Amino acid sequence: MSSDKRVHPKVTEAKELMESGRMSRREFVRTAALLGVAAGTAYAMAGLPRPAFADSHGNMPFPADDPNAKEGGILKVAMQIQKVEDPATFSWVEMGNQARHMMEYLAMTGPDNVTRPMLAEKWEANDDLTEWKFHLRKGVMWHNGEELKAEHVVWNVTRWLDADLAAGGIIGLSTYSAMLEEHDTGEKDDDGEPKMVKKMIPGSVSADGDYTVVFKLKKPVLSVAEDCYNYPTAICHPSFKAPLSDNPIGTGPFTLAELKVGEKCILKRVTKTTDGKDFVYWGGKVYLDEIHYYNFDEDNQLVALAGGDVDAIYEFGVEQMELAKSLPGKVLAAKTAQTLLLRMQVDQPPFDDPKVRAAMTMAVDNARAKALVFPEGGSVGENHHVCEIHPEYFKLPEMKRDVDGAKALLAEAGHKDGLEVTIDVGNTDGPWHQTLCEAVRDQLKDAGIKMNINVMPASKFWEIWDKTPFGAVAWTHRPLGTMVLSLAYRKGVPWNETHFDDPEFEAALDDAEATLDVEERRAKMEKVEKILQDANIMIEPLFRPVYTMTSEAVNGYPAHPTQYHQFNKVWKS
Amino acid sequence: MAVTETEVDVRSVPLLKRLTEPKVIIGLFVAMWVPLMLYVMFGKYIGNAKDIMLLPAYPATVILYILGVRAFRESWVAVLGLTLVFFWIFMAVTAPYLPLLDPNKPIAPFTVPFTEKRDIFFWLGTDFKGRDMLSRTIWGCQRVLVWGVTATAVAYVVGTAFGLIAGYLSGWWDEIISFLGNVLLSFPVMVLFIVILNYLGPSGFNIVIAVTFASAPAIMRIVRGLALDIKTRDYVFAAQTRGESAFWIMVVELLPNVRGPIIVDACLRLGYTTVAITTLTFLGLGLQPPDPDWGLMIKESAGTAMLWKFSYMLIVPALSVSSLILGFNLLADGLREMSLRD
Amino acid sequence: MFKLIGRRLIQMVLIMLTASFILFVIFDTPEFKKRLAIQELGGFAVSALDETTYNEWLEKKGLNVPFYQRYFNWMGNTLTGDFGFSYEKNRDAGPLVWEKLANTGILALGVFGLMIPISLILGVLAGMKEASLQDRAVSFISVFFTSIPEVATAIILTVVFALGLGWFPTKSAMISGFSFHELILPVLTLVVYDFGYVARMTRASMAEVMTSQYIRTAVLKGIPYSRVILRHALRNALIAPFTVIVLQLNWLLSGVVVVEVFFEYDGFGKLLLEAALFPDIEVVQACTLVAVAVAVISQIISDVGYTFLNPRIRFG
Repeated sequence: MSSDKRVHPKVTEAKELMESGRMSRREFVRTAALLGVAAGTAYAMAGLPRPAFADSHGNMPFPADDPNAKEGGILKVAMQIQKVEDPATFSWVEMGNQARHMMEYLAMTGPDNVTRPMLAEKWEANDDLTEWKFHLRKGVMWHNGEELKAEHVVWNVTRWLDADLAAGGIIGLSTYSAMLEEHDTGEKDDDGEPKMVKKMIPGSVSADGDYTVVFKLKKPVLSVAEDCYNYPTAICHPSFKAPLSDNPIGTGPFTLAELKVGEKCILKRVTKTTDGKDFVYWGGKVYLDEIHYYNFDEDNQLVALAGGDVDAIYEFGVEQMELAKSLPGKVLAAKTAQTLLLRMQVDQPPFDDPKVRAAMTMAVDNARAKALVFPEGGSVGENHHVCEIHPEYFKLPEMKRDVDGAKALLAEAGHKDGLEVTIDVGNTDGPWHQTLCEAVRDQLKDAGIKMNINVMPASKFWEIWDKTPFGAVAWTHRPLGTMVLSLAYRKGVPWNETHFDDPEFEAALDDAEATLDVEERRAKMEKVEKILQDANIMIEPLFRPVYTMTSEAVNGYPAHPTQYHQFNKVWKS
Repeated sequence: MAVTETEVDVRSVPLLKRLTEPKVIIGLFVAMWVPLMLYVMFGKYIGNAKDIMLLPAYPATVILYILGVRAFRESWVAVLGLTLVFFWIFMAVTAPYLPLLDPNKPIAPFTVPFTEKRDIFFWLGTDFKGRDMLSRTIWGCQRVLVWGVTATAVAYVVGTAFGLIAGYLSGWWDEIISFLGNVLLSFPVMVLFIVILNYLGPSGFNIVIAVTFASAPAIMRIVRGLALDIKTRDYVFAAQTRGESAFWIMVVELLPNVRGPIIVDACLRLGYTTVAITTLTFLGLGLQPPDPDWGLMIKESAGTAMLWKFSYMLIVPALSVSSLILGFNLLADGLREMSLRD
Repeated sequence: MFKLIGRRLIQMVLIMLTASFILFVIFDTPEFKKRLAIQELGGFAVSALDETTYNEWLEKKGLNVPFYQRYFNWMGNTLTGDFGFSYEKNRDAGPLVWEKLANTGILALGVFGLMIPISLILGVLAGMKEASLQDRAVSFISVFFTSIPEVATAIILTVVFALGLGWFPTKSAMISGFSFHELILPVLTLVVYDFGYVARMTRASMAEVMTSQYIRTAVLKGIPYSRVILRHALRNALIAPFTVIVLQLNWLLSGVVVVEVFFEYDGFGKLLLEAALFPDIEVVQACTLVAVAVAVISQIISDVGYTFLNPRIRFG
């Protein structure tokens, strides 16, 4: 958008960084887009070729129209079918996928991890990133014929932040937590402490005219636009009443025709508004007539594809790769920051001895373990939970496997004759958890550590995941490296499963989080990553890729790192 | 148990007549079974003794098999059944000493049978993780055999005890036990298994409990019927007039006499239990990975090998488990045939 | 007779009460409530909840109500035909169970339609001449097929007919409506496992009849052999198999679990397993009641049918 009157100073700054070689071109595109520069323009500024989906024709978030595309047809997708109650409290990605083509978002993060305008045509922030203005597209039509207005968005945000709704998935996002403050309810809890409740700070979201929404945050947040595309933040019509499936009014091209949880979810194109007018979709051409989701659990999705029951699937596991390759169709992979931590609790024997933990990590060559489990794709982990695809990732010196060193440490720690430990594994996203543990076990054996693998059903594992002294826990993809560190390694946070407690680490992390410049932040991440790596609280061999597959007939099917479905420009030949 | 010392009424247990040296056989059985059971159930706690533990079981198995074939030689069905069962028991006790690859070690994924990869010839190929199928198939029989037999045995102990009490004491005891038995029997077995294992969590020991709940009522009914019949016999009256306690009479007079008729039933039930364990493991409620088991092999391959060229991963464990169950059923059939002839 | 039926029905109600009570006790434990929360909210979200929020969640779901009160409410509702609500499928449990039961009914119809003629014919052929070659062959075939567990049969049939020959689809999810084609493999699997048992029962019954006095007399009288078999022997020989076949209904409700799961067939067995694992308490309850009812009623039918068919037997 070269016509833009004002370019955020951070963009200029970032451009300088890029030009002086201190910021990668891709990283620049991402940052610029987050600050409101249209993706196409950002790619141009970076001097990068514009990928098809980066095109800003009419400032659309979707890929460009394909001249060969055939209109019509039904896309059948194998996925687990969940209930669709209230988007704000969605707890699974599948729920988000079922609703995504009905209820849309202010912004949209593409498969390339770049966030583009969706219901908002652009946004801008003040210099210290505490006030954000989202300018809505004009002429976006609800399924009931009304036009989308700023007050509708304000209604949504206010609703998300209502304590009674308990929209945990939303208020955990930094944008929205920066709009909340603690209030004393006047009541006391069982321990006599005052009962606190989080309430929205008055005025933190407001409408400025019909088409501008203003967010006022109590601290600077960079990822506001990305936080507008997390799956619970779909914009609903103010007439919304849970369950959504009863009367879905959205702005998307499709609406729900039939939902049977555990069986199917049928979406059909909206042609008429509920008051009888022709429905005009704001987002340009949409090729498919219908989207059918059919319930298949992950093990059976590929078989359903092979049998011709469906055209595409939600996901298949790495152990099915050989099967997938043997089938006709397109295998798609996306790089993610999804990972598995073989994490130890620092206050539980034998892991309360730092030497034992050091011996454990020292005895494992992460790259070798990764190569065994995910020979293709993914990235090697470095025991600090920051992935190379994170913008602020700092490359620490390479870790070396040292079996003799590990043995020596074990002997010092009083385990001269070896050590026996048991890890709890729940295979919560597939049997690869167990495979990875087995690969680690075989390496630990060389150092005289016998690791028993206690496999339990996922439902049992979820009861103990944060309680077991030694467990293999999966963490999902988050766009920034600091996000997960804050959630998992600060003292007293609910997900601190390792019981890690280091004020120095928290200070370093605070420092990094307050630094908006990615380059500077990266420099500060060195200390953060180093402290965590040296604490040896986890063996983190890899970040995994996610795989999906479609039949030959499906075109333009996106492989998104968080498995979000965006089918506007998908067509079947 | 003191039971073996008491005089056995051979007329009611014709099958045992064929086994010429019961004490020797029981000794051999113990030598075969106890090490195997300890090895599988408590292998974790045994440590280095594990390596030599199964050595005595190995000759015991061979001798038992020879004695068994001699005793049952008149029925080829029984001999065939015995052969199948002992083949797998033999595999179970010798698995650690056979020149096999580590069953849990990934080597070369998706190697089809009879091919060579990484300088290793794979007779039955490898699975999706690259683990040797031959080795997994052979090791896989250990757990299902041990847990299956243990579960059946426990079910028999419980079922027999309640059956004797219900049959001999009658009255309220009978009413209550029979009612509880009926409650359990009117559940479809799988419902019972699913509910129990889902509550207790999947593991070998919990399978024993679940199988006991599912099988003991039926056993109880059989034993109760037998006990009702036997308690009218003279020698029971004699014992009663001697002033023996009810417990004594049940254990010493009744128990040996109900033993014979339930042997055939036991063989059949071993088959059912094996089916149940495999099925439950396939459904994710039974034995847990990583150690090999046929049901697990099926479960793991069902999602990864649904293709003609990889179907060996499914076929091999399916055939293995079928052959073991066939063994139990044929043995039961042969024994029944012989006992009818007597 | 009516006394017998009445007694059985009373027993059924007692059993249902006991069973539902035990299930309620099991599923009322905090662990199961936690598991439900994990299913609804996700494992990470649940461990981030503080106690108050968790209790609020329980309250919203109606799970914090004292156990006995929930049980009595549930009993009252069940009596009025309301089987409660499925947390997993987000709809009323009653219609859900009936719908899946109907699907399993279709499967059962196929199984019985195929299994009854096969096993009766084989059983009669074998029982006609005891110890003959055909008897031994049928016996062996019966034992052989009964020894292959359903999961193994399902695999072998799938590998041969779906993966190898490509005649049938590998799964029977029937996502585009009912398909006879997709029904064949699950039906075959169940028939292969079950026919042997019924055939053996028929054989035993037939063999017994053939040794009876009146058949011997009939043969000695010079009545043609085929007529003896068809007119005299069959009628009596089929009484025992009848009761066995009716009792197979009960077995079928167990047997279908693994077959439905393997073939992704949307029936009662799959529903039951999913509900138990979820844990979807009211669906498990409804399924159990149905299962117990099927078990007891099939028992009654088999007893009553037996008395009708066999005038020599009278129940007290």
